[in-house]
Amino acid sequence: MMRRKWEWLIERLIQLAGVLAIVFVVLIFAFLLKDALPTFREHSLRELFAGQRWSPTSEPAKVGMVPLLLGSLYVTFGALVISVPLGLATAVFIAEVAPARLREALKPTVELLAAIPSVVFGFLGLLLVGPLLARWLHLPVAQFAALGSLMLALMAIPTIVSVSEDAIRAVPRALRDSSLALGATHWQTISRVVLPAARSGIVAALLLGFGRAVGETMTVLMVTGNAAVIPMGLRGFWRPVETMTATIAAEMGETAYGTPHYHALFAIGLILFVITFMTSTIADLAIRRTPGAAR
Amino acid sequence: MTTARVMVLFLLAAAVALAAAGCSRPASTGPDSMGAGEQTIRQIGSTTMLPLAEKWRSAFNAKHPAVSIAVSGGGSGTGIRALISKTAEIADSSRDIRPEEVQQAQSAGISPVSSAVALDGVAVIVSPANPLKQISMKTLSDIYTGDLTDWGAAGAPGLGAIQLVSRDSASGTFEVFKEKVVTLDGTDKSRDYAPQALKQTSNEAVLTLVGQTKNAIGYVGLGYVNKSVKVLAVAPMKGGASIMPDEATVSDGTYPIARKLYCITNGQPTGVLKEYVDWIKGPEGQEIVKQLGFVPVGQ
Repeated sequence: MMRRKWEWLIERLIQLAGVLAIVFVVLIFAFLLKDALPTFREHSLRELFAGQRWSPTSEPAKVGMVPLLLGSLYVTFGALVISVPLGLATAVFIAEVAPARLREALKPTVELLAAIPSVVFGFLGLLLVGPLLARWLHLPVAQFAALGSLMLALMAIPTIVSVSEDAIRAVPRALRDSSLALGATHWQTISRVVLPAARSGIVAALLLGFGRAVGETMTVLMVTGNAAVIPMGLRGFWRPVETMTATIAAEMGETAYGTPHYHALFAIGLILFVITFMTSTIADLAIRRTPGAAR
Repeated sequence: MTTARVMVLFLLAAAVALAAAGCSRPASTGPDSMGAGEQTIRQIGSTTMLPLAEKWRSAFNAKHPAVSIAVSGGGSGTGIRALISKTAEIADSSRDIRPEEVQQAQSAGISPVSSAVALDGVAVIVSPANPLKQISMKTLSDIYTGDLTDWGAAGAPGLGAIQLVSRDSASGTFEVFKEKVVTLDGTDKSRDYAPQALKQTSNEAVLTLVGQTKNAIGYVGLGYVNKSVKVLAVAPMKGGASIMPDEATVSDGTYPIARKLYCITNGQPTGVLKEYVDWIKGPEGQEIVKQLGFVPVGQ
């Protein structure tokens, strides 16, 4: 009799926790929307998404988000270019190639990378990696987009490795065994059977890595230079940029509540929320489609 | 005990602990909490004043161990906001409080009173590799608005393009530089920082970047200057010789980029707060001001 009451209580508590999670997300979205709306009312979508100058404190206020959107895009894209090949290769190595003892050592080490606070990466980039790279590559200044990409890649790799590795492991033994039985080599099996089978999970991993990179604030605030200029071509990777996240972090401290600047920053926040929300949703849908995983 | 029971008990205990923590809050917020036993002063704001605040705190604490002072940075704007939302007793600010901030404070029931506690010069710095020794206010202003982009036009040929280093907008130093230099002492408010100015989050970050970048120019609080950078003498707008920032020229107002540092409180300080602020303005506090490279505020 007592056991049933406890059961009921536990179930209600767990339900509450689950519902609360949804409530929080909805509330955050509503909060962002409410404070971002005045910006969308006062400025046309064209001005916001095609405007090239971000200067909300000048008169008249210029709220062109193009430099910020491109800044985030450059830094995130660069991070993916570095972290995707490295992350996938590491995942394949851990899941398919590494002997058991090496696997035991490698997994926690990669996860350790995820435990390092982002401000530490920012610090390392600002004082160590940045000046070094600037000297080697003869760059004008030691804060630039590619530096942000590099540090972000270090943060995205653990996510990509974790989720990809799970996806690869989830491919049923039967598929692997049949491939090998038909005479394929180990690498042929990996590249032509296992990876395609794990495709959805890997896509999910990449999307999650993307989400991690696009939302990162502290590191990019410290190493990308925060100059809201439009990056041009490949050269833009080696010059300072300003990301959306850094703009909010740098400018929020000074904005008075309820001013147009305040609302403009919330508009950026809203866009970030929408981007990461869509990314997570697509990633989630992708995971569900992993063949072999009984979901 | 079954695991379910353990879990429920744990959750209940956590809830009770949270409630208890929540209940003990009111005792330590706001000046009305300064009863005989507990005396807390939260001093938040300007990163320029942070080293000062830290030293003031430890020196004052040595004499008055009963008072607990918590110091943190975040920028002048952050400090003022904390004062308005009653999460700080003192807002350290390296700029004047703005009219809209005063309004916000008043509608929240706070009447901000600024006590000047020190003077600070904002030094214009370049890399030691830069041959320049002085600069006129107009040239400096044009450099920061992006009208002048090459060192050749600014008097240092051979250095190439000018790399602008600035602060983020939460910084009081940013504000003062904008007021005195960019807008030419407030005469042309339409002038603004160029978008290619690199926004750094602290004085140290500016110092590091300028020190290591040959074609960079930046500005920092005078107290932060060290051997890794070179300070330029600035010629004021009205003309005349260019002046190097130091205690004398900041104190008598001849150096054009100078400002007062304030401790802003809710109303005139009373009780322990008054003791602290008076001590800061007194000989011991002002000695610390001098030690850290700032300028004591006059009588």
